[in-house]
Amino acid sequence: MTEKELLTKLKEFQGIKPNSDWANWLLNNILSQKKEQVSIKPRVTWASFSFLRHYQKVLIPSFFIFIFASTFVFAQNTLPGNPLYAVKTFTQNARIVLAPKDYKPVIRLQIAKSRLEDMAKVSDQEKEIALMSQNIKKDLATVPQELKAISKKQVALKVSQQVQQKTQEISNIVQQTNLENKDKDELEQTVQETQNQVLALIIQTTEEINQCPSFLQTNLNNLQQYFTDNINFLASWPADDITKIKVYIADISNDMKAGNCLEAMEKMESINQIIKIHSLDVQVENLAPTPESNSGSGGSTPESSD
Amino acid sequence: MNQDEFSKFYKDNLDKVFRFIYFRVDKTETAQDITSQVFLKYWQTNGEAREKIKNPQAFVYQIARNQIIDFYRRQKTKVVSLDELAEQGIEIPQTSFAFKIELSLEMENLKKAIQRLKPEYSEIIIWHYIDNLSTKEIAAILNKKENNIRVLLHRALESLKKECNTLS
Repeated sequence: MTEKELLTKLKEFQGIKPNSDWANWLLNNILSQKKEQVSIKPRVTWASFSFLRHYQKVLIPSFFIFIFASTFVFAQNTLPGNPLYAVKTFTQNARIVLAPKDYKPVIRLQIAKSRLEDMAKVSDQEKEIALMSQNIKKDLATVPQELKAISKKQVALKVSQQVQQKTQEISNIVQQTNLENKDKDELEQTVQETQNQVLALIIQTTEEINQCPSFLQTNLNNLQQYFTDNINFLASWPADDITKIKVYIADISNDMKAGNCLEAMEKMESINQIIKIHSLDVQVENLAPTPESNSGSGGSTPESSD
Repeated sequence: MNQDEFSKFYKDNLDKVFRFIYFRVDKTETAQDITSQVFLKYWQTNGEAREKIKNPQAFVYQIARNQIIDFYRRQKTKVVSLDELAEQGIEIPQTSFAFKIELSLEMENLKKAIQRLKPEYSEIIIWHYIDNLSTKEIAAILNKKENNIRVLLHRALESLKKECNTLS
């Protein structure tokens, strides 16, 4: 079939028409129908929630996460005696664990202060309060140890000063709590002891920072003497440790030239740590004189004071 | 649009709409049913909204296309037709408007060939070559450019030739 024939045949379909009687009947029927029953405007229907089934896998975990998060948020406003206070305590402990090592003492005291404030707001719950008081004492006792573990002297000084301020705030709040007088005195005493230890650390660290160059020079001289005296013993050391010490000494030399005495001191302490590992604690302690001994006043080394 | 205007529109377009549906559904009765639904829906369309319709012909064809889609959708769940019932010996009361379009074997084959085309090809063949709609009118119905319609027409005709040769 050619295209022309095809088109002619297609035209023949124009003869197909609906029955004229039916056409008239339909027209009359349509016109008799009520007008404006159908609107092309979008129909407003009640929302169906059946679509939620498609998101079931996401919605159920999201729901539990929401409940979990809401519980944590709500728990932050609770006081001792409330069942959700344990959640608050858990969150605070998590904050301490997750805090950067050097700033852990400050966070610990911040939370101790917050707990004391909570204790001051409740008049009953003696048992709960007594337990919290014990925990705060433990926290206060831990703080000086954590401060000593800070390797960078300038950071240690800054954190110690913040800790000193926090302990003073804690001391003020202790008086407002509803603890028995005996417990209150014990807690006050612990705070006082912590303050004294922190103050001693501040003084010691400040001196180390101020007398760093001469302190470091003495350390280097003693280190040289140590290696000269124990040259045979060094043969039993692993090669890695000797290499590390060589690198540290080179770094110390560079730091001294650049005027970074405190950084050089950190490396010197790392050398002392390596020496300690090789069971020569006694010699190491003898090697490292204090700033006081360096200036002729006598005292202990940073290591021996640990 | 008042009754007179609707009556005029109905008479001008009934044959075309009927043919458009007839080629898509195969059975005369079905074509009648769908045609009546199309014009009824148009008449029942909100008066204010109907006044805003720029191209009533395109609007009616769009209703027809939707009705045909609905028809085939329903067919999936309801497969028993009146003819099938008649074949099973069940007597179907004939309405006074029932009629059957008789086609020669050659025309019947051509109709089958049109029905075997892709819907967009069969629609365009019916509109342009049977109902004499211009490419401009078809472009308005399909919301496409005239150039695209010409390309579509060429492809549709080529496809129809192939189907005719296959059937013959």
